[in-house]
Amino acid sequence: MKQVLFPSNMEELWNMWRDNPGAGLMAGGTDLLVKLRSKRIDLKTIICLEKINELQQIHTDGSQISIGAMASHQQLLDNQVVKSRLECLHQAVAVLGSPPIRHMGTIGGNICTASPAGDTLPPLYVLEAKLELASPTGSRLVPIKEFIYGPGKTVLAPMEMIKQLIIELPAPGVKTGYYKVGQRKSLAISVCSLAVYLQQAADGSIAEARLAWGSVGPTVMRFPEVEALLQGRKILLDLLKECGQAVAGKVKPITDLRAGANYRRQLAASLLMRLLPD
Amino acid sequence: MKDRAVAAGTALPRADGPGKICGTEKYAADYYHEDMLWAGVKNSDHAHALIEAIDVSGALLIPGVHAVLTHKDVKGTNRVGVPESDQPVLADYKVCYKGDPVALIMAESRELIEKAAAAIKVEYQPLPPVFDPEQALLPDAPVLHENRADKNLLLNGTIERGKGALALEECAFIVEGEFHLPAQEHAYLETETGVAWLNEDGVLELVASTQTPFRDRLELAHALGLPADQIRIKAPYLGGGFGGKDGITVQGLLGLAALHSAGRPVKMWNSREQSFLASSKRHPAHMHYRLGCRQDGSLHALSCRIVLDSGAYASLGGPVLALALEHAAGVYRMENVHIEGFCVYTNNPISGAFRGFGAPQVLAALEQMVDMLADKLGMDPLEFRLKNAVNRGDELGSGVLMSRSTGITACLQAMQQHPLWIDRRQWEKDAPPFKRRAVGIAAGLQGTGYGPVVADVANAKLELLLDGRFRIYSGVADMGQGNNPTNVQIAGEIMGQPADAFELLQPDTGRSLPSGSSSASRTTYSFGNALQGACLLLKDRILARVGQMGMGIYKEDLLLAPGRVRHIPSGKDIPLTFIAAAMSESERVSINTFTAPVARHKDIVDPAVAAAGFPHLVFSFACHLARIEIDELTGEVTVCDYLACTDGGRVLNPQLYEQQIQGGIVQGIGYALWEDFKVSAGEVQSTNLSTYIIPGSLDVPDIISLPVETVEDTGPFGMKGIGEIGINLPYPAIANAVARATGKRIKTGPLSAERVWQVLQAGEEQ
Amino acid sequence: MLIKFYLNGDLKEVNSDPDKRAVDLLREDLGLTGTKEGCGEGECGACSILVDGVSKLSCLMLAAQLDGHNITTIEGLADGEKLHPVQAAFVDRGAVQCGFCSPGMAIAALDLLRRNPHPQRIEIRQGLSGNLCRCTGYQKIVDAVEAAALEMGDKL
Repeated sequence: MKQVLFPSNMEELWNMWRDNPGAGLMAGGTDLLVKLRSKRIDLKTIICLEKINELQQIHTDGSQISIGAMASHQQLLDNQVVKSRLECLHQAVAVLGSPPIRHMGTIGGNICTASPAGDTLPPLYVLEAKLELASPTGSRLVPIKEFIYGPGKTVLAPMEMIKQLIIELPAPGVKTGYYKVGQRKSLAISVCSLAVYLQQAADGSIAEARLAWGSVGPTVMRFPEVEALLQGRKILLDLLKECGQAVAGKVKPITDLRAGANYRRQLAASLLMRLLPD
Repeated sequence: MKDRAVAAGTALPRADGPGKICGTEKYAADYYHEDMLWAGVKNSDHAHALIEAIDVSGALLIPGVHAVLTHKDVKGTNRVGVPESDQPVLADYKVCYKGDPVALIMAESRELIEKAAAAIKVEYQPLPPVFDPEQALLPDAPVLHENRADKNLLLNGTIERGKGALALEECAFIVEGEFHLPAQEHAYLETETGVAWLNEDGVLELVASTQTPFRDRLELAHALGLPADQIRIKAPYLGGGFGGKDGITVQGLLGLAALHSAGRPVKMWNSREQSFLASSKRHPAHMHYRLGCRQDGSLHALSCRIVLDSGAYASLGGPVLALALEHAAGVYRMENVHIEGFCVYTNNPISGAFRGFGAPQVLAALEQMVDMLADKLGMDPLEFRLKNAVNRGDELGSGVLMSRSTGITACLQAMQQHPLWIDRRQWEKDAPPFKRRAVGIAAGLQGTGYGPVVADVANAKLELLLDGRFRIYSGVADMGQGNNPTNVQIAGEIMGQPADAFELLQPDTGRSLPSGSSSASRTTYSFGNALQGACLLLKDRILARVGQMGMGIYKEDLLLAPGRVRHIPSGKDIPLTFIAAAMSESERVSINTFTAPVARHKDIVDPAVAAAGFPHLVFSFACHLARIEIDELTGEVTVCDYLACTDGGRVLNPQLYEQQIQGGIVQGIGYALWEDFKVSAGEVQSTNLSTYIIPGSLDVPDIISLPVETVEDTGPFGMKGIGEIGINLPYPAIANAVARATGKRIKTGPLSAERVWQVLQAGEEQ
Repeated sequence: MLIKFYLNGDLKEVNSDPDKRAVDLLREDLGLTGTKEGCGEGECGACSILVDGVSKLSCLMLAAQLDGHNITTIEGLADGEKLHPVQAAFVDRGAVQCGFCSPGMAIAALDLLRRNPHPQRIEIRQGLSGNLCRCTGYQKIVDAVEAAALEMGDKL
């Protein structure tokens, strides 16, 4: 039998964690309990974070939004600021898992699972989210791209957790989006995904482009060289093909049950075509 | 009691609906007992190996582990399987695939079973495995079942008609194709499960999720060494079956466990992973086809070779092959055919019955060939099919005489007049940017029942209860298709009673009568016929009894009405309670046997194939149309619209009819586009529902179902079985559409986004 | 540990291992076998329950997580013999075949209709997209939810 603890605030959490050093934190449980069931991990103590109110809050403060690590995907889906200002993240949670998974799963959990296929990750990479990591001794701010360094690998220190995400709201006029290829339309793990962040200049050319791909490498990938190709140019078929070629040479996909490496590589390129105006 | 009699032909809501939707209907999975033990297995670590020793001592040391059994604890033959009894309840001297159970564990919890399994040590002497059926046929291939004269060949059959393959030379146009189709997993929501216990009389009782309670009883008797009358099996509503529970799944293990549980009830409920590993699949198929026609478009010659991978054991592989041979030439007339087939043992997971029973594979291949040939000839594919389709009195290419209702021409004509067909060119042209659209069609058939050798018998029992209601003793399990609720409709129509006048007993070898399996599109056809007779018998008796009560001698004067018999001339009503009280117990029960008619024409195949069920007499027919859209950027295929024109005889209940058509089609769309049960060197790769992709609610369209009603006068109320026909055609209809959209044939299923994307890129045949 | 929660309107106090799965607590300890299990890992939706009105997967919840919450299982929908409109629509529209996914489907439908009382068919399909069904092809389930929405109006 495992011990299950429910801290109701951060202080209780630290105390419980200190008393149970090997304990695992449970956010929504949609990954953790699957792993426990298949014996990929074993835990004597589970500290369930769902009763810590402050971790579930979403606040908009001027130009930035802070999202508690325990905010559920459904909360993000229902949040008006996320919907109107962080479209890429909103689109990603809309196709993440399924309705009950979205009711249970949390953004902090999705980040900590650190799967290259995690649906919230490419949007967070293009939004250049910062993570506030908290521990009993204080907190630090880490950019998302530095937080994950491999499949399931994060820089979390012992007794450290994600407390919240901080995202600068894109300037008005910035367009963001998320495009996913999965094996079906729900309950699907992405075979390849792409998040985009495009700021256009007055003449319609690209002032700033950020692109992040999921499921085509050990972590979500961004390529400054490819983003630079778009700089100052207009979104036209030839340009996207040029970018696609560059991307196909850079991604590092694997072959697994869901898809072959080459298919993923080419998807990384062809998903760029979704940027063409309708 | 609602006062109106139910009528055949109406959309009577299913009697099982309320209990199921309220969560009160008990499935086998829902039985728990006080003081119950859980049972589970230790699987083989090898695909092919001799067992040298099994050491269970480590497991027995774990507190809460009650017992660990091995083959030595099995007193009977330790073999199950019909018609070939070759599968061990617990592996004895060897293992033949990685799901073979080596030991059976009983413990206080499921967690302990996993622990105990890990603590059991088995010494193996590995044998060379064989995973490819073609290689398994080679003379020097490793042999799975050494006692078999034919080694790894389970069954082989050939149909040779006219000049056979030689006639291809006389054809003006010939096409050739080779197709590989993967295993398909049933993926019913309720995995294999049951409970078993020894009752106070020493009778072994089982409640199991099974399509075959009566057959299971005989199998268990042999395998476990018990008299059949010491075994009682109940089959509550199943949480899905589709053929995967056509025979023994956990019943042998459960029975064995209950014999060694010191009187405690035992429950077994496979995890999804165990289910995927150990349950049977649709046979993977390798098919080589050549098809030719004359200058005028009349089909002239077919040559094909069909190889089915049976996996480690026979299961129903023989009958599946026989049905594949029978359906291999589809719904067409042609005089010259050479059809040969092989069902072969390998060290892969077991294949067995699955809705369609061999027909989905061969029709996937044939119906693509038909499209290819029509294209080559330059004829419209629908016209081409109409030109060659059988009518009553014709013989199929496989030689089977169409002597019963034959509605394929009517189905094709209905499709021809449908807007989805008429408007297809415009719809294709309207494809948005980066999308390609195409429309594909396919036609096919499905035989009903067991064929000419194994008698297809149903025994219906109906009882007038003292409260004036009736009890129907269903003899065929209901795996979800609604055959037992349909019994209410049949009996209600004949007995003039409302639906709630019936109590529906689910199959119970102790109370109902053996009526065969829930399979082969036969449940309502065979049991419905039997029930119809039982109803007429009891109705006659009731009316006769009323006559004896002084209501005259004219039965025409009497109307069996809800809860009463009315004497029409006088307007007097006599309550059924009153009549029931006047009848003796045996008088209130009627029993009727129905034996399905069989095709009795001259031999086309050798006796072994005939014994496996060739040929059938009654067939359902259908043609399907799929409108698909391909995303050029990703290769993803979306089925936008779907039309099915089905000849299932007269429609007994439009709602249940649609249920079968829609459900079969969606399972078939899954087979066409996503479902790929991957096995690598005998090891299952698609271990769960996250890696084996079945369609969800967003992946499939609404389906238009047009019943094309013929009258099948051997069927109850003119109906024919439609449980399987729906799944036979989505694969070829979609494949034909994909080929139209891409200009290429994908020869390996499923038509995954990755494969479609590859042919879009390649510009050449895969 | 002692777990206290409202189950279908009634206060329950159950002693349970805290790490027992919620689905096992409901089915084995409390005998509410209407909640089904089809995969054990959140892929099929058969084990769906309402937690404070929100659909969640009881195979991915610990018993301890029920504590203090208002839990509705499929057994809590009907009012005695009278089916909930969603249940009645499932029966009338032929949405139930083998029925093993049906309780989870009904729970998903309730969650959907609470959020969106007048859904389009595509929205219904989205709302049910966490629940696998192997029998129906989904069409009649969508029909049923559509009919239930009409029947209930804004009453949910």
